[in-house]
Amino acid sequence: MPARWWPRLLMVLFALALLYPLAGLMAPVGSWRWDGEVPGSTAAAVRVSLMLTALALLIDVVLGTPVACYLARCRGAELMMWEGVVLIPVLMPPLAMGLLLATAYGPRTAIGAILMRLGVPTANSPTAFVATQVYVSIGYYIVTARAALAAVPRDLQDIAGLLGAKPNETFRRVTLPMARLGLAAAVSIAWLRALGEFGAVIVTAYYPAGMPVQLWINLQNAGLPAVMPLLVIFLITALPLPWLIHTLAQDRLAQEH
Amino acid sequence: MLEVEIVKARRDFVVEVALRLAPGQRCAIFGASGAGKSTVLSCIAGFEVPDRGRIGFAGRCLFPPPMPLYERRLGYLAQRDLLFPHLSVAQNVCFGLRAPDEAARKWLGELKERLELAPIWEARAHHISGGQARRVAMARMLAPRPELVLLDEPFAGMDWATVSDLLTALMQWHRQLNFSLLAVDHRSAILRRLCPQALVMEQGRIVQRGAWEELAAAPATPLLARLLASADLSSAPESAPAR
Repeated sequence: MPARWWPRLLMVLFALALLYPLAGLMAPVGSWRWDGEVPGSTAAAVRVSLMLTALALLIDVVLGTPVACYLARCRGAELMMWEGVVLIPVLMPPLAMGLLLATAYGPRTAIGAILMRLGVPTANSPTAFVATQVYVSIGYYIVTARAALAAVPRDLQDIAGLLGAKPNETFRRVTLPMARLGLAAAVSIAWLRALGEFGAVIVTAYYPAGMPVQLWINLQNAGLPAVMPLLVIFLITALPLPWLIHTLAQDRLAQEH
Repeated sequence: MLEVEIVKARRDFVVEVALRLAPGQRCAIFGASGAGKSTVLSCIAGFEVPDRGRIGFAGRCLFPPPMPLYERRLGYLAQRDLLFPHLSVAQNVCFGLRAPDEAARKWLGELKERLELAPIWEARAHHISGGQARRVAMARMLAPRPELVLLDEPFAGMDWATVSDLLTALMQWHRQLNFSLLAVDHRSAILRRLCPQALVMEQGRIVQRGAWEELAAAPATPLLARLLASADLSSAPESAPAR
């Protein structure tokens, strides 16, 4: 069909432009460095990022899901108000978020001092790393999860209740399964946001260095050849989960419709 | 005994209704679209909360305060099937059953056979047709053997033959289970098959109550007269062959 080829051509050009940065992996930056401190620091950064991001994600889900459930039931002015609150950390520039977290929870603040006395350092510690990741990612999780939960028809939840299901049972048997694809998207977005966070984390938790900060350190200390191996690992660890979830979600949606 | 005395403000008028329904009794709420009929059922079911009044059923207070939906033990069937799309037909029908015993399994079998659900029993709810979905919704409503059944125009958009078949089945199960039945529709032909008497609603208020013959003989309002006359002219499910 004559009208079909040019939109497809434009789409191909757009896709090429979108994926072109990946060509940077084959850029002539010299031999990739994998000696000296690079293997050890890379392994440590991968371990820190994966373990602490998983913990942050767990906190996002545990704290964010009830909030998303509440917001899914809110209407009108109250919904606007709470959504505005949740959106503030989402819209805040990461560096500004890091600076604000440092000034709000830093060791010299009252809260920071109390936590320090309790053995919980609020700067350059795993606690600071996880807390920062939670602050930057939980808003994304809540906004996406709220949309998924609000999309489950209220009528169906009412009918489940009328059939004898208590609210927690209705959530488990009706709301959760019906919102699962949206909730999976929320998890993957939060994962990406937390794992890739650099601007806020570099202020609050330069140590222990996660992958983004370690990339920065490698770039500063040894240039691009020392960055490339960690960059590949970073992409491999960051992309599969959201990509897989998105693909499965699309596949499931295609089956259901 | 169902006892309802409620006031519920809507955007355009106030619904103010008082009615009583004895155990096993069947009563229709008849009126034009937008008369407030569904609001009454929604308040009884618990989907909406009345502004004031009281609702009692079988010695239990449904309002005030609003009793949680899961404690109401009543069946509700609406225009929309409201099946759980992620579950199979079997899971939908069994949703309200807690640890079904032998009697419950026998009852399920009867519903399954009478409503011709066997061919679609394992199918996903979103894969079945609209008519099949209506049958599944009816089976799901009746599976827990509710003491009170609320029908909110569940036969809308269905062909007369299917409606007639479902009405016949419903009446058979009414004799068997002796549930109280409150049915809403704007088509008197369907309600006449289900209920010997009716409450007529206009603008949120009951304007007349009685047997269908009494309503037809002396309609209280011109609108009711027109509604009954138009129903007489339309094809009625009574004339359709029952399966």
